[in-house]
Amino acid sequence: MIARRIAALLFLPMMFAFGSGVYLYLGTLKSKVVKTPAKKPTATKPEHVLPGTMFVVQDGRLFKLNNGSFTEIGPAGDWSQPTLTPDHTHLVAVLRGSLSSDLYLLDLNGQVVKRLTKNDSRYVQLNHWAFYPRVSPDGSTLYYSYDGPKHVDAAPGDDLSIWSMPLNGSQYQGRRRTDPYWYTGGDASPIPLSATAFLFVQHSIDSSTAVHSQIRLQSRLGDLVGKPLTNLADDCSEPALSPDGTQLAMICTGGKQTARLEVAPFNGTSLGPARILIDGGLLASPAWSPDGQALAYFAPSGGAGHFELWWLAVPPVVVATPTPTATATPAHSPSSGGASSIVVPTLPPTPVPVQVTQGVDLSATSPPAWY
Amino acid sequence: MEGRGPARRRRASRLHPVRLVLLTLFCLLLSGTAGAAAYFFPVVVAGVGQTGQTVVVPPSNSPGVKATPTPLAAPGAPFTVLLLGSDDDGKNKSPLTQSMILVRVDPVSKHVTMESIPRDLWVPLSTGGSGKIDGAYAYGGAAAAIATVQRNFHVHIDEYAWVGLTGLVKLIDLLGGIDVVVTNPVLDDAYPDDINGGFLYGYKTVAVLPGAQHLDGAHALQYVRSRHNDINGDFGRSARQQEVLLAMKVKASTLNVADLPDIVSALSGKFKTSMGLDRVRSLLSVANAFDPANVKQIVLYAGLYTSYANGPAYGGQSVIIPHWSQILPVTSANFP
Repeated sequence: MIARRIAALLFLPMMFAFGSGVYLYLGTLKSKVVKTPAKKPTATKPEHVLPGTMFVVQDGRLFKLNNGSFTEIGPAGDWSQPTLTPDHTHLVAVLRGSLSSDLYLLDLNGQVVKRLTKNDSRYVQLNHWAFYPRVSPDGSTLYYSYDGPKHVDAAPGDDLSIWSMPLNGSQYQGRRRTDPYWYTGGDASPIPLSATAFLFVQHSIDSSTAVHSQIRLQSRLGDLVGKPLTNLADDCSEPALSPDGTQLAMICTGGKQTARLEVAPFNGTSLGPARILIDGGLLASPAWSPDGQALAYFAPSGGAGHFELWWLAVPPVVVATPTPTATATPAHSPSSGGASSIVVPTLPPTPVPVQVTQGVDLSATSPPAWY
Repeated sequence: MEGRGPARRRRASRLHPVRLVLLTLFCLLLSGTAGAAAYFFPVVVAGVGQTGQTVVVPPSNSPGVKATPTPLAAPGAPFTVLLLGSDDDGKNKSPLTQSMILVRVDPVSKHVTMESIPRDLWVPLSTGGSGKIDGAYAYGGAAAAIATVQRNFHVHIDEYAWVGLTGLVKLIDLLGGIDVVVTNPVLDDAYPDDINGGFLYGYKTVAVLPGAQHLDGAHALQYVRSRHNDINGDFGRSARQQEVLLAMKVKASTLNVADLPDIVSALSGKFKTSMGLDRVRSLLSVANAFDPANVKQIVLYAGLYTSYANGPAYGGQSVIIPHWSQILPVTSANFP
């Protein structure tokens, strides 16, 4: 038996403690998934060691992934879209300001070697954007998307065109290589094939007012339109050419908010039947491994929506005589396909993607630069 | 008797074990309730101040449209919400609604239908005269916005929800950002620079690149608010707004009731709704069972549904003229 006074004295702190405990416990029930902060890549250990060296971006910072560990490189700033020069001695990357962006040549430690463009202005509408830098295979020409000329006489706005300039020259030597479909945002993701030919993604609108993305080939100077390599309705973009130039990886959405990772043989002028490696979910920025046997790409993992680095082996296609009993059906036929040199392949089973990073939230619009 | 007096007092000052257990349980229940009440206090305050807003909508003079407010539909019955998004940056005392989306929710089948209403649609306003439909909220609040949409679209609206731009940014940040597939580059040289201080009428350039990506609140707002360089104009922006709504719904499905106080504080003063907790619960249940295949999206693009016009007849403004013969069948089919 306990005295009432003692009980009262014990009950008060007990009630306070229990009430506080309930309050704190409810706080622990909050969804931990959505607010999980991204970790700095250097504080993580990749779960899969990739061959070679890769450059990726997280929240405007450049990171080098080598031998299974990340190293932060480069000065502070809002960096994105690093790409390698063909001799693998330098990077070209985008540095975003508040109203514009510029291209910089960096060494592999991220130190600025040269500013390649000057797009900022004190007058808002004289600022320019430059994105998607890529260096031609001979190392002489820099291709990129640039929002010039602006159509200031109509509604204020601008569209990206593909431009090229000498890597060792100046921006004033730049030349506009495509004429974008106006008010769609324009052309993106150039992939140089030579000093004059390149692949790019055009955005356009159809008769039902739907905006599409399409991979096109522009093979000669003066041709500002190029020829389509993919069907308009497939909405393919983010092309990545294998190191030997025979396979093109791409992301196709078909106008939906989900994507397919596809690979199609490329003979320099047209695409063969594409095969779907991954169907569904959000997929972004594929990049080929140095040996051309695998792809890296970004996709969210878990409910937090952080884009992580994934790796996928791409088994070689067994070229066989066309047969009606082929083991798989091509995803779709390319719009301009049908080149006689491309035969129906026997498709190998698709391997399982391997998640490389966990909880780092890498920039999905900055394709990995990998060598 | 004398000898029993102290014993009785002693007995009275002691507790029987059963009573002690009952008292302990009662105290724990009381203190636990107090702890939970303290945790959800902001929700209760917001529930009183921001949800269950009463709107008196003038009777409709359109055929087939019931007067509102209507009795609460039976639990589980489909209901229609008018989502309103405003540029509440202080430029206007009564903000325009830059975004108006009709949303029909079927809690049982988990189907959702969304129809975006162009902000520049030239219609008779419930407050009198004709004007752009985005002015209805500015002239007469939620009641006028609801009445105007009901009368023109011949649809019955059960509820409304209004959110300010900064509330949207905070909510998306609270959700940890959203994942979307941006179909084409969104570039704008005259994007309003009015959110984080500075000159209220200032503008800046923005660029949202295409592809699947994770957007925080500020960048998601750029994505849904930019309109100057979209070939589909405000219609393109409407489609982007629907994409972001769906992306938010995906992220919201991972929330639970313990997140409510944070949500309420993020939306403090930037959110109003006529919905009571029952309806909010219905919405959450649909969000939790979200399947993109069960979502139908309608945008009233120019050409078939609408056309552009300007001139003195419209106050010198550029407006969008509705083609009611095309709009009404689609609306009545999807919002019966």
